[in-house]
Amino acid sequence: MASTETQPRFGQSVKGLLSDKVGSCSGDVIAMTRQVLKGSRSQELLGQAARNMVIQEDAILHSEDSLRKMSIITTHLQYQQEAIQKNVEHSKNLQDQLRHLLK
Amino acid sequence: MAATGDEAAAMDSISRAPAAHPAALIPAGGTSPPGEGAAEVSESPAAAPKKTSTNSDGGVETAEEAVEPAEPDINELCTDMFEKMAIFLQGELTGTCEDYRLLENMNKLTSLKYMEMKDISINISRNLQDLNNKYASLQPYLDQINQIEEQVSSLEQAAYKLDAYSKKLEARFKKLEKR
Repeated sequence: MASTETQPRFGQSVKGLLSDKVGSCSGDVIAMTRQVLKGSRSQELLGQAARNMVIQEDAILHSEDSLRKMSIITTHLQYQQEAIQKNVEHSKNLQDQLRHLLK
Repeated sequence: MAATGDEAAAMDSISRAPAAHPAALIPAGGTSPPGEGAAEVSESPAAAPKKTSTNSDGGVETAEEAVEPAEPDINELCTDMFEKMAIFLQGELTGTCEDYRLLENMNKLTSLKYMEMKDISINISRNLQDLNNKYASLQPYLDQINQIEEQVSSLEQAAYKLDAYSKKLEARFKKLEKR
């Protein structure tokens, strides 16, 4: 940290000492801020989180694609079920006709 | 304290103009006339340090510390310095804030995507449940179709057997006819 000299040195004016002190205090504040940021490791952790998110994005897009395909397949199944239902109703009439024929 | 008086006198001599410094060689223990000192300091007000006054109080000489006058724009310079420090520190912290904002935006977009996927999957689930119920209602017909299919295949087998038997019978009849 900064030197703690308060007594004026030989040949150095108070003005110069004051400016040195202000400069050293400013440097200390800057160093402390940087140390706080470095010690919190926020840069590393957030960067790692962003990288993991980017890796996961591919899987998420694939899952969404699969879900959309599943919804399309479900719609097709519904169409097929409606067609089967219509044919089943026809078959009821056919059964009645067959019964009449066999009698 | 005598030494202090000497120092004050020396500083006086340094600060005064070269042409006018008769009082610089005031002997130790003597008191400088304050009026004369003030008049000489007023000649060079800009760069000279403040006048030091020596007082003798009960035989003890005291003196004030010689200080340089503050620059007229020192306040502005200080304000400027602190503002720039604040801007610099804010910039240092803004980097981390921007990282957090980026992650926040990425999370929001991902949550939107997951909400869409949730809606799609809810629709799929509902449709599949309806389909299962409708297929359950069709199950008796499907069982009948299976039964018909089995009966038709057994009928076909019976027809093949009958056909084979009738062919054997025909062959035997022809053989008997030849005799």
